[in-house]
Amino acid sequence: MPVPVVQFSDERLPNGLRLIVAEDHLAPVAAVNVWYDVGSKHEVEGKTGFAHLFEHVMFQGSKHVGKAEHMALVQAAGGTLNGTTWLDRTNYFETVPSHQVELAIWLEADRMGSLLEALSQDNLDNQRDVVKNEKRWSYDNRPYGSWNEKLMGHLFPADHPYHHPTIGSMEDLDAASLDDVRAFFATYYAPNNAVLSVAGDVDRSQVRAWADRYFGPIAANPSIPPLGDLSLPALLGEERREVVEDNVPLPRIYFGFRAPAFGDHGLDALDLAGQLLTGGKGSRIHRRLVREERLAQDVAMFTLPFTGGASVSVGWATVRPGVDVDTVERAYLEELDRLGREAPSDDELARAKALTEADELGALARVEERADRLSMYATLFDDPGLINTMLARYLSVTKEQIRDAAAATYRADNRVVLTYVPKAADETGEAAA
Amino acid sequence: MTHDPQAQLVAERPVPGQPRPYEFPQTFRTTLDNGLKVIVTPMPGRELVAASLALRAGAADEPAAEGGATVLAARGLTEGTEVRDAIELTEAAERLGASLHAESGWDATSVGVDVPESRLGPALELLAEVVRRPSFPEAEVERIRDERLTDLIQAKADPRRRADEAFIGTIYAASSPYHRPSGGTAETVSGLGSAQLRDVHARGASPRRAALVVAGDVRHDAVVALARSLFGDWSGTDATPAGPIDDTAATDARVVRVVHRPGAVQSEIRIGHRGLPRRTPDYHAVSVMSAILGGLFNSRLNMNLREEKGYTYGASAGFDLRRARGPFTARAAVNTEVTVAAIGEFLTELDRIRDEPVTDTELKAARDFLVGVFPLRFETPGPVAGSLGGLFIHDLPDDELDRYRDAVEAVTAADVQRVAREHIRPEAAAIVVVGDHDQFGTALDDAGVGDVEVVRDDVDPAAG
Repeated sequence: MPVPVVQFSDERLPNGLRLIVAEDHLAPVAAVNVWYDVGSKHEVEGKTGFAHLFEHVMFQGSKHVGKAEHMALVQAAGGTLNGTTWLDRTNYFETVPSHQVELAIWLEADRMGSLLEALSQDNLDNQRDVVKNEKRWSYDNRPYGSWNEKLMGHLFPADHPYHHPTIGSMEDLDAASLDDVRAFFATYYAPNNAVLSVAGDVDRSQVRAWADRYFGPIAANPSIPPLGDLSLPALLGEERREVVEDNVPLPRIYFGFRAPAFGDHGLDALDLAGQLLTGGKGSRIHRRLVREERLAQDVAMFTLPFTGGASVSVGWATVRPGVDVDTVERAYLEELDRLGREAPSDDELARAKALTEADELGALARVEERADRLSMYATLFDDPGLINTMLARYLSVTKEQIRDAAAATYRADNRVVLTYVPKAADETGEAAA
Repeated sequence: MTHDPQAQLVAERPVPGQPRPYEFPQTFRTTLDNGLKVIVTPMPGRELVAASLALRAGAADEPAAEGGATVLAARGLTEGTEVRDAIELTEAAERLGASLHAESGWDATSVGVDVPESRLGPALELLAEVVRRPSFPEAEVERIRDERLTDLIQAKADPRRRADEAFIGTIYAASSPYHRPSGGTAETVSGLGSAQLRDVHARGASPRRAALVVAGDVRHDAVVALARSLFGDWSGTDATPAGPIDDTAATDARVVRVVHRPGAVQSEIRIGHRGLPRRTPDYHAVSVMSAILGGLFNSRLNMNLREEKGYTYGASAGFDLRRARGPFTARAAVNTEVTVAAIGEFLTELDRIRDEPVTDTELKAARDFLVGVFPLRFETPGPVAGSLGGLFIHDLPDDELDRYRDAVEAVTAADVQRVAREHIRPEAAAIVVVGDHDQFGTALDDAGVGDVEVVRDDVDPAAG
């Protein structure tokens, strides 16, 4: 099945902004997408959560745009939009009817060029409160909500920037000042630290003219500080275990492993391993733990790809009522071990690849995803062409490579086991606060 | 060291270019001799095809004692057929690069598959096998029933799901199916087995209440030929049509209910009442009004509670339009200490949308969003097939989507105020909060929004 090739242009403005345009006129829609090469990995101790708080500030207005007006203008143009922050990057994106592309480009340029002119203490305080509620909603007031922070804390040493979560610490957010925000902006939000991708129903030379007009006046920052060395040993070197009492009715076991960095072929193999271990009814762990032995309510296994030294491979199993937690852990780990000893069958691999191929076909059908992938591959690997070669890389993985990647990664001396257990009830019958 | 903050940016806002004309893609409708509707939307260049068989049979049609049977039966469809067990079925689909899925909601059951066009034929064969020859194996049904029972234990612990469940339980009378989750309660689900699931499926699976919808890079005649060969001899049972759905409200007066969760750092708030059916003549005006009140990012609720007060990560409101009157819900998760203040802001906004006309700016923004986002919604086959299936389920006219943008454009500020006054009723709105009552109970009593009933969940012994 042929996955269509994405044709794109790739050039730089004199100020260093990388501009990638992928024309496609199937539907009258287009996506505008900006990746800044800054994420929570750029944060230093005492200033965690900063990249993400800053992302919120980016919607609070700039020289020619009022507070929250960015959202209003894009939605009134019939568009959708958002911004997200992750360990390796921050991205902002709008999908619009194609005759509104110029507006989206102008909006992105105005905030890249003049955010600080609209920055106020009120807006900063307001968004700090919003972010605190985001943390409560996404992590604190959610069953098992602390798993990510805990796994990452164990898998990366305290002096590694992946050790702390993107949402950051509330104490650090409280301490954030306007000057901190100004310095962060001045350092990282520069055209030479960003990629602008536009995909869809647009004309390439017209987009270039708009980019010149709106982004052209923004000066580069010639001295973006280089990121320190994030490399670390391939293996954790020990098994780390933690038992977490939480407001949960059922125990759940999380497994975390240090895995090859994003871009390493070994991680491609682990992605396919995740599919054949837990992706659907016929997958190994699902079939055994959920269906045959009925030990688990649900299971998962997937990778979180990162570029800074190591990625993470995460798995979990929710323990069914009345089932012994250790039994579930043992069965889960047995399946990981088995994959490390025996290569999967040809049929298992073929099925995993067929699904991967169809997923890719579906994902790349949307202009929003195409623009985001182009920005991602350009930002992280300096190679937007990966949008057309990643699938071939997945399809070239052999069953022996999956076995070897499993054996190298799913090791006892490379794993974190987090076991969530229900909080003990007190004498009133209520869970203790 | 830094870039120049005084960069000479272009101050003038770009004006939109000439919109490229967009029409919802041409759609072909055929009815087979047995009554099955075949709806095909060719979308050139869209290789990943979305196909789904939509049945007018949903959880609202089931007897109260079998609550959850329809949702469970849909799950059971992919648990085995007369010729293949669940694993064989899954593996056959995976070899095609296809994901086969079946689900039920209040109004409909659908069996769908997303598959590359070159393998549409064999994928539709699997779909037909699942719809026409499911076996509901005893052991698998027992397992998926137990999984649902376990899921209900988890739902109770999740503040969001607990709030949703407490809200519908508060606003609908016990006689209405909408009073319970569509997946049923522990009491009703624990009695379900293969026999009930088979009955549910037999009642609902008939070509006379089904539509096969296919969107993607396909040819109309080729899909009809496939449909004829796979479903042409399907007769199904001639079940009596489902009767009207009981959507009786529990009360017309204010109820305030707090589900006490000691130590909760946020309060999950739900405020609302029984709303409207999908076939309301006010559909387009209500869409505009909801967008202004709580749909857009810059909706009144979100601007007030998030961007001005900082109480929440997001506040919203909307109507869940079903065959009968689904709920109108305003919602947010707020900081525990501002729980009572947030409830006050919600009620203020519910009053305000009724009492004053919306501004021209608000009206234009909402209409422009709904009209402008239309082509974005239908970029890929999945949403196209989903929307066409929805029209069939609700028995809406074929040109409903073609008329949509003009109908939205025609909505006036007076229309918005009229539908707000008719369909938003703050005095009848229930207020449901899942949070730490110890922290805000006194303030809530003092606020005078109504008599407060406190619910204390027992710790489930099965969970310990």
